[in-house]
Amino acid sequence: MKHSPKLTGIIFVAVVLVIGLAMIPAVAEAAPKGKIAVVLDVGGRGDLSFNDMGYKGTDKAAADFGLQMVEIQSASASDYLPNVRNAARSKSFDLIISVGFLLTDAVAAAAKEYPDQKFMIIDSVVEAPNVMSIVFKENEGSALVGALAAMVAAHYGYPYVGAVLGIEIPVLFHFEAGYRFGIDWGNKAYAQEKDTNPNTGLLYTYTGTFSDIAKGKEATKAMLAQKAGLVYNVAGPLGIGDLQAITEDIKAKGKEAGPPFMIGVDANQDWMGDGHRVLASMLKRVDNACYNASEAVVKGTFKGGLVVMGLDVQGVGISKDPDLLDFMEFGIGAGKITAADKTKIVSNWKNMRAQVPSWIWNAVADLEKQIISGKISVPNANTLDEMKAVRSKYPLKR
Amino acid sequence: MQDREMGFAGRIEELNKTVIAGVVGFAVGALIMILYGYDPISAYTALFSGAFGDLYSFSESLANATPLILTALTFAIGFRGGMFNIGAEGQLYLGALAAVTVSLFHLPSGIGIALSIIFAILAGAIWSLPVAILKAARGVHEVISTIMLNWIAQFLAFYLIAKILVDPLRAEKTISVAEWGRLPLLVPGTSLSCGIFVSLFAAIIIYLLLWRTTIGFDIRAMGYNPLAATYAGIEKWKIILFVFITGGFTAGLAGAVHVMGRPPTYAVYGGMPSIKGLGFEGLAVAMIGRNHPIGIIFAAIFFGGLLAGGRMMQLFSQVPLEMVRVVEGTVVLFLAIPELIRFFSFLRKVRIPLTFRIKRSQNKEGRQL
Repeated sequence: MKHSPKLTGIIFVAVVLVIGLAMIPAVAEAAPKGKIAVVLDVGGRGDLSFNDMGYKGTDKAAADFGLQMVEIQSASASDYLPNVRNAARSKSFDLIISVGFLLTDAVAAAAKEYPDQKFMIIDSVVEAPNVMSIVFKENEGSALVGALAAMVAAHYGYPYVGAVLGIEIPVLFHFEAGYRFGIDWGNKAYAQEKDTNPNTGLLYTYTGTFSDIAKGKEATKAMLAQKAGLVYNVAGPLGIGDLQAITEDIKAKGKEAGPPFMIGVDANQDWMGDGHRVLASMLKRVDNACYNASEAVVKGTFKGGLVVMGLDVQGVGISKDPDLLDFMEFGIGAGKITAADKTKIVSNWKNMRAQVPSWIWNAVADLEKQIISGKISVPNANTLDEMKAVRSKYPLKR
Repeated sequence: MQDREMGFAGRIEELNKTVIAGVVGFAVGALIMILYGYDPISAYTALFSGAFGDLYSFSESLANATPLILTALTFAIGFRGGMFNIGAEGQLYLGALAAVTVSLFHLPSGIGIALSIIFAILAGAIWSLPVAILKAARGVHEVISTIMLNWIAQFLAFYLIAKILVDPLRAEKTISVAEWGRLPLLVPGTSLSCGIFVSLFAAIIIYLLLWRTTIGFDIRAMGYNPLAATYAGIEKWKIILFVFITGGFTAGLAGAVHVMGRPPTYAVYGGMPSIKGLGFEGLAVAMIGRNHPIGIIFAAIFFGGLLAGGRMMQLFSQVPLEMVRVVEGTVVLFLAIPELIRFFSFLRKVRIPLTFRIKRSQNKEGRQL
């Protein structure tokens, strides 16, 4: 096949012309007062929970403090260390935020190589003077949704509740441990109110992924088939798949609203599913963590070390009325809902919650108070052995 | 276009085609970026400097290239033998896990590395055996059997990672390759290990194998014209076995050098996010490298450069990952075209019309076949 020099020449000239035209100088923006890098793992953006929250918080800080935010998404796990290292090497970032446990090794290595660079990592502890490690007490928040789930499932006559999890990392053990404790506590609270213990059981699966949405749908379908009344999403973007399965189940019964319900995670996901398919969400304020860290760098108060965000400082929590409006803006920004849907979603949500008897909501609020005051200590797990111990303490089998 | 050994002029013409394809690919990528409002000049500057701009960047590119050379060789050997071996993916998973398994024991460094490599090579070869046997004995098309075995390998790997080789303290990954089992870093402060030498060595061995040995000649003959080769006395089943087993060696080796050479973790994560796709990327690399070991070396370095530079595109030009992938894909697609054209014209000329040729010859007077 003879290549035509003419054709090549024409293409070349055309491209140069187009590029030339595109080189119209952009309007100069105000010089940023600093730069912050946000490095994400392979799960990436668009999960409407964990990673999007990290982005949201840093974005707000950038807007409030006049910073420039650069987002770096990792295409594969081999990119973790190069991405963090590249950012550190460029010496142009005041702070490098790494969102997620999977970036631990990368941050640990880069922090050693660049001791003058400030790092922050979420969900993991890296012991270095230039690294701020922010962890959450997901077990406390999960206990609240576990109690809610157990009582609501019993109220609607479902024998099980479910949990769809991601990869078996220590962070997820926090969720599972708290959830188990909560379900058990919810069963006992129900027994106190109604004189019979419903013995709501737990169906759980570790899908092994934080990015394959289809696995979330499969896992949820299997749980719904075994009569799970609520499914807790503990795998970021997989919640989108979980909700698809739940929506199909609801529509197959000729209804529009749940039960069965999903329980959202990290962000307030109650608005998803038209406001009446996600009963509650376990909020993990990753956005606040990123905001606080950025603020600390701007104000010069940044310190390396451990920061624990629990129920008492609203680092975690169960979704309540005021959060919903704030997070609907999140959904609008992501293009999932429009501003016109807002009123409908809010009224659906209020209906959904009103149909759950108030004694259940009071019990959950009571549990929250007891955890904050320290009367109740929610079990936690960081290793597989500890998780197995919690599992044998709260087997939740039927 | 003649499909036989080319002289020097012929090779230059082929190289020309690849270069032009590359230029067109980059131009189209630039067009797409402009359409979406990104600045291609800044993006490509970041891309090229991030790929080859300094020692750090070049090391990152080479580090990316290391496993790709090997998986590309797997495909290329098959292609030269007239087969479509896409089993590198599954074989490399098992090769990586085999290398990790050796770390369960305590061994001195030299032996440890050698043993890990041997285990990995064997794992890859064992996994390619079913494909070879099925094809030789029952004529099962290798595309089907390799894809099926890739899936089986994936789930087997998931099981091994989560239950057998799992790190008791960090449940999301396997145990790390022990210190003595790691390939030393070639350039400190980068991801580049001595694994690159292993890959280059393998490429040279495969080149010598295919072009300087009898069995290599037989493989290539079988690839050009299976009927003529069989008529000349080359036994097909021997070629099949040899091609797939050798392919299995290189694929298993790819998994091993990746897990033994890549900082910081030196382990396989649950879900295998760091080694997934290396097999199929190797396919693209083989196509770009025209299925020749030396071409593959350059193509792999180019591909590795695209990946390393792509990271810089995100960092410095704020081009989002999705757009980086679009540009990478566009460039690779265009670069693969010259080889695809050769492959399809080869098919048209030899395999399908063979029956027509036989019929036509018999109609001519005096001609017999």
